[in-house]
Amino acid sequence: MKILVPLKRVADPENANKVKIAAPAGGLAPKIETTGLEWKPNPFDEYALEAALRLTENGTAVKARLGEVIVVTFGPAECDQTLRGALATGADRAIRVDVTDDQLDGDLVARALAKLVDQVKPDLVLMGKQTVDSDSNQVAQLLAAYLGWPQVTFAANIVNEDNKALKIGRVADGGQINVRVQLPAVVNVEDRVVNPKGVTSPPTPATHKYADGVRFAPLPAIMQAKKKPLEVKKLADLGVEAAPKVKYLGYEAPPARKAGVKVKTVAELVDKLKNEAKVL
Amino acid sequence: MSNAQTAQNRYKADLREIRFLLFEQFGLGELLGKEPYASWGEDEVNMVLDESYKFSCDVLGPLNSVGDRVGCHIENGQAVTPPGFKEAWTKLYEAGWKSVGVKTEHGGQGAPMALSVAVEEFLSGANVAFAMYPGLTVGASEVIDHFGTPAQKELYLPRMFDGRWAGTMCLTEPAAGSDVGAARSTAKKLPNGKYSIKGTKLFISGGDNDFTENIIHLVLARVDGAPQGTKGLSLFIVGKMKTDASGAILGPNDVALGGLEHKMGINGSTTALLNFGENDQCEGELVGTVENLGMPQMFKMMNVARIGVGLQSVSVASAAFLNALEYSKERKQGPNIRNWKDANAPRVAIIEHPDVRRMLLDMKARVEGIRCLIVKLARHQDGFVVNQGKDDAAASYHLGQVDLLVPLVKAYGSDQSFRICETAIQVYGGVGYTKDYPAEQYCRDSKIFSIYEGTNHIQSMDLVGRKLGQNGGANLQAFLGDIGKFIAENASHPALGPSIKELQAAHEAVGMTAMRMLGWFQMGQMSMVPVVSTRFLEMMSELAVGWLLLVGASIAIEKTKGLADGEEGAKDRAFYAGKTLAAKYFAMNVLPGVKLKAEVLGREDTSSLDISDTAFATV
Ligand SMILES: Cc1cc2nc3c(=O)[nH]c(=O)nc-3n(C[C@H](O)[C@H](O)[C@H](O)COP(=O)(O)OP(=O)(O)OC[C@H]3O[C@@H](n4cnc5c(N)ncnc54)[C@H](O)[C@@H]3O)c2cc1C
Repeated sequence: MKILVPLKRVADPENANKVKIAAPAGGLAPKIETTGLEWKPNPFDEYALEAALRLTENGTAVKARLGEVIVVTFGPAECDQTLRGALATGADRAIRVDVTDDQLDGDLVARALAKLVDQVKPDLVLMGKQTVDSDSNQVAQLLAAYLGWPQVTFAANIVNEDNKALKIGRVADGGQINVRVQLPAVVNVEDRVVNPKGVTSPPTPATHKYADGVRFAPLPAIMQAKKKPLEVKKLADLGVEAAPKVKYLGYEAPPARKAGVKVKTVAELVDKLKNEAKVL
Repeated sequence: MSNAQTAQNRYKADLREIRFLLFEQFGLGELLGKEPYASWGEDEVNMVLDESYKFSCDVLGPLNSVGDRVGCHIENGQAVTPPGFKEAWTKLYEAGWKSVGVKTEHGGQGAPMALSVAVEEFLSGANVAFAMYPGLTVGASEVIDHFGTPAQKELYLPRMFDGRWAGTMCLTEPAAGSDVGAARSTAKKLPNGKYSIKGTKLFISGGDNDFTENIIHLVLARVDGAPQGTKGLSLFIVGKMKTDASGAILGPNDVALGGLEHKMGINGSTTALLNFGENDQCEGELVGTVENLGMPQMFKMMNVARIGVGLQSVSVASAAFLNALEYSKERKQGPNIRNWKDANAPRVAIIEHPDVRRMLLDMKARVEGIRCLIVKLARHQDGFVVNQGKDDAAASYHLGQVDLLVPLVKAYGSDQSFRICETAIQVYGGVGYTKDYPAEQYCRDSKIFSIYEGTNHIQSMDLVGRKLGQNGGANLQAFLGDIGKFIAENASHPALGPSIKELQAAHEAVGMTAMRMLGWFQMGQMSMVPVVSTRFLEMMSELAVGWLLLVGASIAIEKTKGLADGEEGAKDRAFYAGKTLAAKYFAMNVLPGVKLKAEVLGREDTSSLDISDTAFATV
């Protein structure tokens, strides 16, 4: 199976308080200050990569690759590091579409991915359900529409049927919906897909239990990562016009949290919950 | 923040500091891309640092307090290690973090030692007790690699390098601790060429585990009829299990686990009493083919292990420092001293209090100082490897510095480690003494470092008795010469001038004291030497640390000049300022003590020799 996995780097969510939005008094900031931020791959994209690797290997002998995983990102040259990380983790090759972050919106990424799919011809596009920076959750859906492919969202477990179809348990309110999708398809995943039994894919024996979570980049693969191909493309190479539909007018930080209050009696608490918080 | 200590990672490292040492101060870049490190580039180094750090935090860190609280015990004659250790062992070898510096012919990546010590720091810092099992395994395999027969290498090395089998070093016996030569374990040659091993070994780290199918003990024992003392010791490969030549396990090898110690720290590491040959069924192989070479062979492993203990020391101390630093920014107590009269002044984080800042900077300077010693040692080892067989003078210079630095790294590093951890507890205040925070464990764990692998006094005797005079004194001369050169070049440094003066005074004091000790040797005043050796090792280490921190500061000052203004250069500017001030602190607050110690030692006070055993106390 050939799988395309889009990856995005995001500001380290654990250091999100370092994000600076220097808005003038009463106005909006023209951009988010990104100097000094530490970048990490979007966690949901890492889950997609892990799932893709599990679909293209025998889990008991992972060194021999049985399919191909191609990672793609949109961004400036610094993003090569994110791609190298994915290559070190096990991806087979990488593509970077050279753009700066402020030229992008979800729709443009989806249109460009659609063109890339025409070129790369994967059997499956596997992606994170959303990025933890802007939490839009729309690229997979848009991409499926542009491609005219079936889509499954919020995949929590995936069973591979002969590389022709996938049986997918998708998360829904209060439970799970099981669907079967013919390839090629677009699937986005949520975190449960990297549970030890999140992916079932022959020839990995059904009894095999993966380690919980995404795999670590093993040392030998890190040493090989530079030798794996990393191709750089321009939007123009894909025949996509760099015209985002979303216009960013400005940024402002969410209002600071107000100090808490100490209540003296239970009655007062109930009153506040009822009348101020309006949750009762 | 609440810090219930169950399965939570508390480890952290400052990767910027590690990168500074590797790339900016110790020139790792010069080695990369060239033989024998041709496969290594800056990208690989950085990715290895990032990924091994992540691994340490995610896999080993959460088990640190678990290992401490649960410890090890015996069930049915077998050691049971803390929950999670077995899985961590498997993951460690799958990820390959024990093969960074291992030769490529053994499936390793042959990295420069300067890099592998950084990776080791992460593994040990996250969980020092766990890291001992693989650490000793690598140490034991290197002995076999160096001295073993081709058949031994073929049988043991692949299995030990990939983590199927573990390894230990067995020197200590009930009556043979510091005095290794007193070992009573015996070896009797058998008709099949192997030896029957009999004896009791004590305090054996990793002496048993429940994650490998076999354990390869390297055992010092005396062949029947061999001379007494260290000269008559031979080194044996003794499996926990008997195997055939293909490595298949045949059954137990009469190595009985007699007990596990209940310890102050490193509770996740088994410290085992092992009885070899209680039923006369324990077979061992001589390492190599010649008897009575046990000590020189074991020294090879001990050198590696002593550097390892220095690494453990900085790893744990650094974790203690960074945790205390974090807490000092969170804990609010008291007003800023400027507002001491104002009862309504805002409460400030304790990091604002001058004495807390002093403790933090003291820890920072010492942690970074002992790390410098280790990276410098490693860089000399790499320098030796690169020059070996090409430039004899350079190779011998580098090797000489490695030899000279080993006792400093081991003894000074470990003495400082415990003291740094103690300071960390002090920064926390009361909660530092509780198990809700990691400082008390770091402190307990670190105490062993000054004791095993040769107590720190034994290290100081190695320094003054062997290392100072080694190569006709050339190693010491080169060491002092390198420092003298730095002093001469920087005497009029605009920012560091006063610090360089302190360095110069310390330099003279160490040179003078070395001469004084030489005089004692020559005039037969031997008894003075062990009275002062521990303090001399400290003086020499402080000189080395002061020097290396100042070298770092001079680099930091240069680099600051090239930084972008404003937000963009802010992070680096603060980092370099930290390097500079830590060096200045050490030079102004610690280095003057070197001169003082030289004066004190010069008085040749013999009270501790003069006092009779009965005069110490009346009980
Ligand atoms: C947790 C732990 C793990 C260990 N792991 C191992 C291991 O894996 N393998 C192994 O072989 N051993 C191991 N050891 C043993 C360790 O190396 C010894 O404890 C150490 O060498 C000191 O020996 P000793 O305990 O017999 O102390 P002693 O030798 O009795 O020393 C007691 C004191 O006397 C001093 N002293 C002793 N002799 C002299 C002298 N000649 N001159 C001046 N002072 C002297 C010492 O410096 C020390 O202060 C371990 C010990 C511990 C506690």
